[in-house]
Amino acid sequence: METKKEAEPLLEIKGLKQYFKISRGYTVRAVDGVSFRIYPGETYGLVGESGSGKSTIGRSVIRLYTPTEGQIKFHGADISGSLDSKASSLLHTEIQMIFQDPMACLNPRKRVQDIIAQGLDIHHLYKDRAERSQKVAEMLEKVGLAPEHAERYPHQFSGGQRQRVGIARALIMQPKLIIADECVSALDVSIQAQVVNLMKDLQQETGCAYLFIAHDLSMVKYISDRIGVLHLGHLVETGTTEEIFQHPVHPYTRSLLSAIPHPNPRTERTRAAEEYDYKSAGVNYHAGTEHFLEGTHTVLATDEELRRWLASPPLSL
Amino acid sequence: MENNDTRKEVLTVKDLSISFDTTSGTVRAIRGVNLTLCKGETLAIVGESGSGKSVTVKAVIGILDKNGHVNSGSIAFTYQHANGETVTTDLLSMPKKTMRRHINGKRIAMIFQDPMTSLDPTMTIGAQIMEGMRWHYKTPKAEAYRRAIELLELAGIEDAEKRMKNYPHQLSGGMRQRVVIASALACDPEILICDEPTTALDVTIQAKILELIRIIQKNTGISVIYITHDLGVVAKVADYVAVMYAGKIVEKGTADEIFFDPRHPYTWGLLSAMPDLDTADSRLYTIPGTPPNLLNPVPGDAFSPRNRYALKIDDRAEPPMFRISATHYAATWLLDERAPKVEMPEELKARIVRMQEAWTPKQKEAAE
Repeated sequence: METKKEAEPLLEIKGLKQYFKISRGYTVRAVDGVSFRIYPGETYGLVGESGSGKSTIGRSVIRLYTPTEGQIKFHGADISGSLDSKASSLLHTEIQMIFQDPMACLNPRKRVQDIIAQGLDIHHLYKDRAERSQKVAEMLEKVGLAPEHAERYPHQFSGGQRQRVGIARALIMQPKLIIADECVSALDVSIQAQVVNLMKDLQQETGCAYLFIAHDLSMVKYISDRIGVLHLGHLVETGTTEEIFQHPVHPYTRSLLSAIPHPNPRTERTRAAEEYDYKSAGVNYHAGTEHFLEGTHTVLATDEELRRWLASPPLSL
Repeated sequence: MENNDTRKEVLTVKDLSISFDTTSGTVRAIRGVNLTLCKGETLAIVGESGSGKSVTVKAVIGILDKNGHVNSGSIAFTYQHANGETVTTDLLSMPKKTMRRHINGKRIAMIFQDPMTSLDPTMTIGAQIMEGMRWHYKTPKAEAYRRAIELLELAGIEDAEKRMKNYPHQLSGGMRQRVVIASALACDPEILICDEPTTALDVTIQAKILELIRIIQKNTGISVIYITHDLGVVAKVADYVAVMYAGKIVEKGTADEIFFDPRHPYTWGLLSAMPDLDTADSRLYTIPGTPPNLLNPVPGDAFSPRNRYALKIDDRAEPPMFRISATHYAATWLLDERAPKVEMPEELKARIVRMQEAWTPKQKEAAE
């Protein structure tokens, strides 16, 4: 951890705002001033309820949206404004994305080899056909599929296998950062574990960083080095996995953690989740500033709120 | 739950077997399922997608797809007739029309996974909740309206009267699922079937919805069947658990028996694969491979190719249900007296000990 902190961040997001103008009088503030950093080779987990803006952040980083305000720096290069050709090619090769629904994100009319090699095709990253198919075969093997699968179509695979194809497509560009947007939530429990283990292995092998977006906290805890908790477009708390899970400070984080059902029928039946309602809790995210606690642990709060929260009893999980 | 004599069976599924005709052949989706549901109790059916858990309950409520055939079996449903007598009927032999008229929605109601697709986008939610009462009981409109407001309040919706005129798209996902629950309860059903009721929802809302269903069950005494793949949800709600794999029930028992004394290797795998908040291992346990394709006949135990404890006989003969206790059964040859003694994986054992230790005396007291 310590060495990573001194290292230069791979991705630095400063005050990112992403607004969507729905009509003349109505603008959705999906992301409202979010800042965090991702260091090379680490996994940053983004959690929050639906509508909290976690997917929007991922999509803004990879420039599926144009950020309204704020700065996104990748390798020190600004990728938030208008992109010149150099920045755009950097963005499109070094950042890749894995999507949620493995059926919807693979073109059903293309063979798996063409899906995986599309990035290579676009950026002319091979000399001849032989090199292309060799690269595809290597990648298929890496994600636990057989080279002969290259000739098949997406519908011939199961959900877990399709997600492996999605991972292969992202990895073949040898990216520095992979944005995984709910990439296991559509899969079965036993298959989820397979895919997450694969992602961990590949990270060790290639040293890429993950921005892991999910709402399943137990899975996020398992894969992430650091976690950011989002609510209503604000990053309310961020820190290492231990900091968040051992000492959650923000009431929203606490309610999220206490809502996870434990696979224990004896304790679970009597355990009540902590409730949190933004309106009635009297918390104002706009008034809050980032308060640094220790290590990498920061909380969005006003001074008074922070004092109150720190005084509340620790969460029993 | 403790007293077995007072348990009244509401639903008994016997030897149910269902197949589907598809373009690539006949899929034997359900291969001999036995289940019992008693009054006021909660049964959870757990399994991967494709294990047949949804198909089983779809057969119960008579909404199998057109290409599905029931090959054998019976589903006995016991209910109180309007004139007070207790009737037991076989739902499978009932004509579809009678089923729609007397069972669906009225005595057995179902909550589906996605609240957006189970609500009619062109009707106000008030009209949708009243529909069942108007149709099944010919309730006068004014009374149905009052009852619908009550139901919405019961389901935890504030400003129920104002909400009656809303359309589904005006509500959030959690609110929609509450509306679905309200409309399912409108006709006082005997059985409520929840097919992954919270999979599409966030954890915080999930906790609230599960709590809501539990409170309603306490107040009305209905029986509930949960279908889920989330063992955390099972632990929270279930009295009894049935674990399904490849169209068969491989283990069933009380929630305590399944979580603290699992016997089937598949149940071991499921329990180990779930990351709990105390897991510190760097790797998650995985069940290797994928579920079998039920297009092809499955020789022996369907789980044996993925089972690291598989015996030779698993490839040849299907294991029967071995009895472990009055409520606990498992279908694995490991329980045969001739089988070698196999213990559950060490990590799982450690986890179970941890779970038992987490049960503080105070909670124990509260549970009793």
